[in-house]
Amino acid sequence: MGDERSFVKHVIKKGIIGIVVGIFLVGLARALDFPPVFQVMFFTYAMLGTAVFILLDAPSLQPMGGMKALVALLAFYVVLSGVYIGGASFWPQYDPEDEKGKIEKLLKAKRAATEQGKAEELLTRTKALAEKADAIMQRLQSVGGVAMASVPVGADSKRPSGTLPAATGDLVALGKEQWELQECYNCHKLSGQGGKKRGPEMDNIGSLMQPEELRQKILDPRSWMAEGFEKEYDKKKMPDKYKELMEDKDIDALVAYLSTLKNPSVNTPKPIKKK
Amino acid sequence: MTATRRSLLLTFVLLATVATAAYAQVPSPPAAEFPYTGNRTAVWIVAQLHILFAAFILGAPIFVVISEWLGYRKQDPRYDRLAKEVTKVTVILYSMTALTGGLFIFVLLATYPQFTTWLINHFFLIFAVIYPLLFIAETIVLYLYFYTWDAWKGEMKGRHIALGVLLNIIGTVTLFVIDGPTSFMNTPAKAAEGLSLVEYIQTASLWDKVYNYSWMPLNLHRLVGNVTFGGFIAGLIAAYMYMGAKNEEERAYYDWMGFVGNLIGVGALLFLPFMGYLLSFELCDYDASICPYMMADQLSMFFEMQGAMVGLIFLASNYYIWLSMKRIEGVERVRMTAVTLVVMVALPFIMTYVWTIFPVPDPRSLAVLVPLTLAPWIIGQGMPPIGRITVSSRTVIKVGFLMVVVGNAIWMTPHGFVATQALATEHLELPSDWSFLALMPAKNSAAFTLIFVTVVNYILYNRAIRQGTIVWGKIDFAAQFVLIFLAFSAIWTMGLMGAVRSLVRKYFHTYNLMPDFTAESFTPTLSYAGWWITGITLIFYMVVSFAIVVTLRASEAKAPERAGDPVPAGAK
Repeated sequence: MGDERSFVKHVIKKGIIGIVVGIFLVGLARALDFPPVFQVMFFTYAMLGTAVFILLDAPSLQPMGGMKALVALLAFYVVLSGVYIGGASFWPQYDPEDEKGKIEKLLKAKRAATEQGKAEELLTRTKALAEKADAIMQRLQSVGGVAMASVPVGADSKRPSGTLPAATGDLVALGKEQWELQECYNCHKLSGQGGKKRGPEMDNIGSLMQPEELRQKILDPRSWMAEGFEKEYDKKKMPDKYKELMEDKDIDALVAYLSTLKNPSVNTPKPIKKK
Repeated sequence: MTATRRSLLLTFVLLATVATAAYAQVPSPPAAEFPYTGNRTAVWIVAQLHILFAAFILGAPIFVVISEWLGYRKQDPRYDRLAKEVTKVTVILYSMTALTGGLFIFVLLATYPQFTTWLINHFFLIFAVIYPLLFIAETIVLYLYFYTWDAWKGEMKGRHIALGVLLNIIGTVTLFVIDGPTSFMNTPAKAAEGLSLVEYIQTASLWDKVYNYSWMPLNLHRLVGNVTFGGFIAGLIAAYMYMGAKNEEERAYYDWMGFVGNLIGVGALLFLPFMGYLLSFELCDYDASICPYMMADQLSMFFEMQGAMVGLIFLASNYYIWLSMKRIEGVERVRMTAVTLVVMVALPFIMTYVWTIFPVPDPRSLAVLVPLTLAPWIIGQGMPPIGRITVSSRTVIKVGFLMVVVGNAIWMTPHGFVATQALATEHLELPSDWSFLALMPAKNSAAFTLIFVTVVNYILYNRAIRQGTIVWGKIDFAAQFVLIFLAFSAIWTMGLMGAVRSLVRKYFHTYNLMPDFTAESFTPTLSYAGWWITGITLIFYMVVSFAIVVTLRASEAKAPERAGDPVPAGAK
């Protein structure tokens, strides 16, 4: 009984100290311009510390056996499972939907190259042709067969070419999309955003390299080196994988996009030809 | 029963071999659709269960044979009994490893037939010949080792220990061999100059494919991880048996076993952050885009969870030492130099700064790290009067706990409370002046602080048992729950990091080489992963608990020949 009373006193004492430390940390974090979410985090750390120090001086647990031990064990597992599932669910969650569309785009060409992909494409084309045939038949029926019969097959293709981004020369937009899809930003900073140390900033690369040279660098990372990035070049930091991961048209688009990057206010390092 | 188990085991190995060989010849078979879980999660569950059983049967024999040798050398029957009891459980779990291994191959073949066929063709010699032969050899040696335990004693003990060493050699080779295809999936060989990766892989030798970037780091990481895991499971066995012990002698023995299991687990755990770091370093070196994917984007919160888990494991293992010291009579006489406290407190701050200037693996950081960590012994021994100022063991441990909490806090502090950098805003990110808290130098220093504190606590414990008297069997009953907690958390963390290792392949079965065209190739949420990891851990726990009850409790009920004399309370 005496032990229990002294433990309660101990919990209260440590609890008060923990709260005071937590409040101090929150105040300090606020003074140092930490966002509120980090202030909460610091308070939580203070509470974790409090729990640890309360536990250190907790009275001994009495031995148990038989059914009591089994029930305690099962309850312990339930609590542990709940805490770990809860803990994993507490952190911010990545939304897989963000990735699904991206993966679809990245793998589209490769999927089409597989046997299954070819079969799927054939099915899609057949379906599209059937739909087109149905549409023509309906138009024939509505306006009279003779008049429409003179419409050449593929008249649909005379639609303004502006509706097809690639054909309109909107290569730059597609190139920007490739920049995102291939995650170039992980290693290269652009417009102040993205990787910091692994690769050079790209804001002025269009002024320093010709499109053909950019293409060469993407396909063979050993062909050019950015001045000041000797260590990264020697360590082969730039992955030699894009010739396999990217289609020719994707590389064309990325090159077109990079060629537009001509911001002399950013000190993009000078490229040095290596091969 | 034993013959049935052996036949089952061999049947599975043969079936798996035949199925592997036959399936490798089948062109593009259709994939099965797994109900409820989907194909990827079905493979995930079976693979993770297989790895957990395999980790135990490969990790446990390492310390089992050491324990047997210690028992022989010190003539202390407790070590021999520990070794034999863990081996008993290992034999049961060995069958489960074979069972889940066979199931893994079948599920993989059914759900991802094209990829599995492709992988088997690339490693045909391993899957069809080397691995099955090693598995059969390991089975034979394990059973020999177990069944000759009582026959080969006394003069023949050396021979039995040699058999245990052979078992470990075969086990380690098996691990290294199967790590070849596993690591290949993460980091297939880099293409030679002038060749595309696809062209290169078609002409590469088996060794070129096995000896890839992450093979050796994965071998080392798994080897150390398996010993950690085995140690904590030995602690679990001890906790269960302690809870069910009928007399003081049994309680004294299982109290001792729990302590040794925890010591093995923590001892190996100290190396694990370095092994993990080496593996991620090689992964990032192989392809720089893997690093941000792990640390800053889709998987960043998985690493936050890892930080939380590692922190809890270190807290719990140090708490166990605390509880262990509470039952040592005379512990209050143990003191330590106050320099230790200064180093403990200064370590995370000084090393964050040093590693920022000299990032790992720059050896210049060692010029600060080594003298700093050795300072308590150098100054404490040879530099009076500073070294003569001492503090009680209780104070050292309490300050140690404070620094474990600080270390955890640094490890867990994220760059931003966002799952991917694309969603980052200034309201969710660290202020730029403090962004170093989320970088590797800070994380490394946090890990090193946890390790340093734990080592100091064990040194204190060692001094305590030399100066005082340990009363085995009288440990706080809460310690048994700590041992169970450690095993559960170690398994959970293994599951989490296993998922991470698989997920870093992104939308590829084999990174950059074999895309995963299925609709399930996206990164799952941490919450989804958390549910499944918990489920897998519980299934594994149920099987292990059953194995412990069947092998140890049942044999105890039958009152078999005692492996050693009862341990008197008060023995060291």
